Order: sequence, then C-alpha cells, then structure tokens
Amino acid sequence: MRYPSLKIVAVFTVLLCMFLLAETLQASSDALPDSENCLYCHRYPQMGRYDEKGKKRIFYINDRVFARSIHGKLSCKSCHVSGLDQIPHTDIQKVDCTTKCHIKEPSTNQEFSHANIVQKVEASVHGRKNGTKPYPEDLPECKSCHDNPLYSSLEGLWCDSEALSNETLARCTVCHVRKEWADNFYAHFMHRMQKQRTQKEIVQLCTGCHEDQEKMNRHGLESIETYKDTFHWKQVKYRVENAPDCITCHVPVGYSTHEMYPRTDPRSPLHMNNRVNTCAHQGGIQTCHPGATPEFAMGRVHAYGANAEMAASVQTTTVASRDDEKLKLLVQVRAKNELSKKEVFHYQVLHYITLFYKILIGSVIGFMILHQFLDYRRTRKRMNQRHHSMNLEKDDRV
Amino acid sequence: MKHQPLEGQRLFIRLNRSEKNQHLIFVVCFIILAVTGFMVKLPEEIIALLGEHQQKLFYYRSIVHRVAGTIMALASVYHVGYLFLSSAGRRWFIDMMPRPKDLKEMFHNLMYYLGTRETPPEFDRFSYKQKLEYGALIAGTVLMTGSGIILWTESSWDKFILDIAAIVHAMEAVLACMAIMIWHLYEVHLRPHKFPIDNMWLTGVIPEEEMKEEFPLHYKKIMENPELQRIYIVGEPPDRHETGPRIPLVDLPGIN
Repeated sequence: MRYPSLKIVAVFTVLLCMFLLAETLQASSDALPDSENCLYCHRYPQMGRYDEKGKKRIFYINDRVFARSIHGKLSCKSCHVSGLDQIPHTDIQKVDCTTKCHIKEPSTNQEFSHANIVQKVEASVHGRKNGTKPYPEDLPECKSCHDNPLYSSLEGLWCDSEALSNETLARCTVCHVRKEWADNFYAHFMHRMQKQRTQKEIVQLCTGCHEDQEKMNRHGLESIETYKDTFHWKQVKYRVENAPDCITCHVPVGYSTHEMYPRTDPRSPLHMNNRVNTCAHQGGIQTCHPGATPEFAMGRVHAYGANAEMAASVQTTTVASRDDEKLKLLVQVRAKNELSKKEVFHYQVLHYITLFYKILIGSVIGFMILHQFLDYRRTRKRMNQRHHSMNLEKDDRV
Repeated sequence: MKHQPLEGQRLFIRLNRSEKNQHLIFVVCFIILAVTGFMVKLPEEIIALLGEHQQKLFYYRSIVHRVAGTIMALASVYHVGYLFLSSAGRRWFIDMMPRPKDLKEMFHNLMYYLGTRETPPEFDRFSYKQKLEYGALIAGTVLMTGSGIILWTESSWDKFILDIAAIVHAMEAVLACMAIMIWHLYEVHLRPHKFPIDNMWLTGVIPEEEMKEEFPLHYKKIMENPELQRIYIVGEPPDRHETGPRIPLVDLPGIN
C-alpha cells in the first residue's frame, strides 16, 4: 500500500486551512458586533453548566443566528451591563429591559430603552405594582412573552416573490448606500408588518399562565380553559385566517398589549362602554361582528367557569384552616362579589340545561340500548325456533 | 327504486313516492349536518392531519352545514304542508298520532322480549317505536332549526340566548346522532332478519309475509277494507287475478 507523500499532505492541509479561514471570515462578516470578544468563549456549543437549582444553562451563542435577530446589531454589553469583567463571570446580573442600549431612537434622537414599555406594563394588570401585588413571582416578565425573534426572510410581504424584495431594496440603496443598513432596515420594517405568532401560538402563550387553575386562584381570577368551548377557538383550531385569539378581543386595534386593564376599567376594551366596538373590530384586519348589539356584546364570551359555579353554589365555606382552604374561601368571596345576580342566574340556567340534557341523553340512550338488545335476543331466538321447526317439518316429510 | 311484484305476490306500501323522497332528503341532510357539525369538535391532533387544507375545509364546512340545514328546514316545512294538504299526509298524521294503546303495546312488547308473553303485540301501521322516533324527529328538527337560526344570526341576540342555543344545538346533535345510530339504524340494518339493509326506504314496499308479521293489525284493517286495499296494496293477489281491479304500482300518481 502506498502512502501519500508528505508534500501532498502539506498542500492538502494548507488548502483546508485556507478554506476554513475563508469560511470564518465569511461568517464574521454578517455576525454580531463583538468588540468585547465574548465569542472567544461563547462560540463553543458545549459551553454551559448546571446552576444551583440543577437547571441546565447553555451559554453558547451562535453569532450568525444572533446577527439575524431583532437584537442582532447590539453588542453583548448593551444588555448584559454588569458582572462581565471577571472571568469566569461570577456576578452576572439579570438583563434589565429598561437599560439604555446606546442606540439612538430615530424619531426622538434619544438613547433607546424599553423603560417606557416596562412602566406601562407595571401600571397594567400584568404589573407588579412595585411589589404590592401578592405572589409577584406569578406575574409575567418581558421574557415571558418576548424572546429574541429572528427577522423574517426578505421575501415579499405582499407576495412570495423574492424579486419584489430585491426591487424594493434596490430602490432603498439608491439613496442609502450601505447595503447592510438597508437590509437591516427593510428586515426591521418587514418584521413588524407580519404577525410573528400564529393565533394558536398566542392562545398557547396566554393559556400558559391563564389556564393554570392554581395560579389563577391565587389572584382571584378565573382559569380560562372555557375559551376552548367557544366558536372563536374552533376557528383558531382550524387555522382560519384572522380567527379571534386572545389578543383580538383583549387588545383590539387602538389598544396595547402592554396596557391591559381589568374589564371594570374604562380603558379596557372589555369595559361595557367599549364592548360593542370590540366585538365589531372595526378598523382591524377583519371586521368581526359589525352588527353587534349591546345585548350581544355585554355577555360573556368564555362560558361561565369555576368562579360562576362557586358563586352559584349553595354551600359557602366559612371556616378555613388550611392554606388551600383559605385560598378557596378568598376565590369564593371574590366570585360572589364580582358576579352579578343576573350572571349567576344565567350560569344556573345554562348549568341546568346541560344537566337536563346529560340526564336525557343518558336515560334515552340507555333505554334504547337495552330495548334493542332485548329485541336482538328475542328476534334471534324466534329465528332459531323457526329454523328448528322447518327442519323438523323436512324430517317428517322425509 | 321500484319493487316489481312477482307473479301472484302482494306488496304493501309503507312509504309512497313523496315520503320516500322526503326521507331521502332527510338522510342526506342529516349525514351532511352531522359530519360538518361534529367537525368543530374534532381534537387538534386530528385537525393537524388535514395539513394546509384546514382553513379551506373549515370555510366550506360552514357553508355546507348552513345549506344542508336550510334544505332540511325547508323539507320539514314541506312535510308539514304534506301532512295537512294531501290525503296521504292526513292519513299519515292520523296513523302517527300517539295513543294510550302505544304505551300498552310498549309494555306488552317488552314483556314479550323478556319472555313473559308468548306473542308480540299486534301493531297497527306505526308501532310505538316509529311513533317515538317520529316525535323525536319533530322535536329535534324544531330545536335544531331554531337554535341553528339563532347561532347563524348571532350578532342580533342576547349572549345568554346564544349560550342556550349553543348548548341545545350541541346536545341535541349528540342525542339525535346516538338515537339514530342505536334506534333507527338497528331497526333497518342490524335486526337479524333485516341485515345488512332493509330496502324499504328505497322501494317503499314490504312483502305480505313481513306485513302480516310486523304490522298485523294494519294488515287486518287493510284486508277488511277495499278502500285501504286500493291505497296500500301493490301487485295482484291470486284470487283477484280475473275479477279484481288492476292495482297500480307504487309510483303511479293515484296513490301519491
């Protein structure tokens, strides 16, 4: 067997190194700005550890993927502001979205930060109200709803033609000569023109907390698994375009997800004064119930759930010793206070109609099954008797 | 589908042409309504199998459900007209009226099933089974049509009324489908001597032997009354071959 000569091996190695170097250079051209050289360590996919709680933490950053995300133009220290000087890092602080990230916001020319959004969320139903709300750990943080999504592809928004994007971008670069900037601006624009989550994903996001009966009980709220009884959900389930998810009614056109208020607050789209407009959804991508009457809009969209059941129940827990009982009592009291007598009456009527049908179906179908079983048995018996007598007749004739 | 009687065979009319057509419309509409209605109850995992056709399917499902519902409601209105405006309809209405006798016959029949009575009751044109089913059909159609119209015109109604309509529509659908499967399909498909299918819904007639056995009282009444014989009997009985009148086939207009 002949071995390759040393010369060939050397040439091959040099070529391989050149190829890998070219790849690296290519990669770094559209990678994130890394003046702090964080990728020196964080580029390794195996980088991570188990924290004190046993949770696996991955510290790997794929620079090419990150560069295509909405935060792709920010350096690491724009968000991770402290605790990075010591290596290995021991005093890392959690990212605070109110931090100014040293990017000028073009409309005001001020340093950009999400502080104003955080303030709005704090004042809304999801805010911690400076720690005055009970069980603050249940309340969502920015990252509970937002990740760092990738920019959508540059394909056309109005059709799937890549050529359309290219033509549009070509017009941009007539004046904005830096192609990279134009690409980024276009991607930024495009990203906001499209829904980033499907209706189903939005329902999953909200129900992640709001379907948790225990968590909702802690805040005197009703778990919303009853949404899945609505026709709205049936449409979402079938991926019907513009089907009503949580956002459609709770944050219609003109409202902000960061400024959600209780339905008793006039600023809420679910306040009785705003309901007709919310149901009509005028000005939205799709008008929903343009002919909605106040009577239609005033009702409950989600079926009556556990709270109504509790408010309608005759038994009332008056003494509570255990924590869960105290919580139940709290929920019961809130349910009775929040639901009007009319709502409780409605719940009871619906409850008894359902019960009536359950009993009716059970008894009618039960009777039918028994009746038909008896009929089957008797008919078989009669047929067998006939066969038998016919055979006897034949035998007699023989 | 016509059932041509054999030489000397007498056939008895159970459904005339109009009734057969009404039944056919109901069968087709009912199946369409059940399929397109219960589609909204399918679990997500099954819907996911439909792939990219989900939205289109939901759209056409909604239209087809409404069209089938409208046809069924119109057929029901036609049936009410038929009951009162045609002689065959009036006969149907009178024969279908519930009577105390039906209750007695039901107990008698159950006793027969249990073996405490030797013979089954002598049923008239419609037994308690058919009367119960017909009554359920009327109640079901009225409730389903009413609640369906309310749900269709949802924006005009109080949400409380809509909630009631939604519960009634869904629960009635479950009841109707189960009742049809257990009560009706057993009667016409699974009863040992009917298996795999009783063709009566297509031919409209049953042979004399079956008539004697299943509806003996009605048979007796027919045989005692020449007028009823003219209405219900198809084919020529052997003893009337020479002298009796020519009995028309099922689909001739005279008996419709």
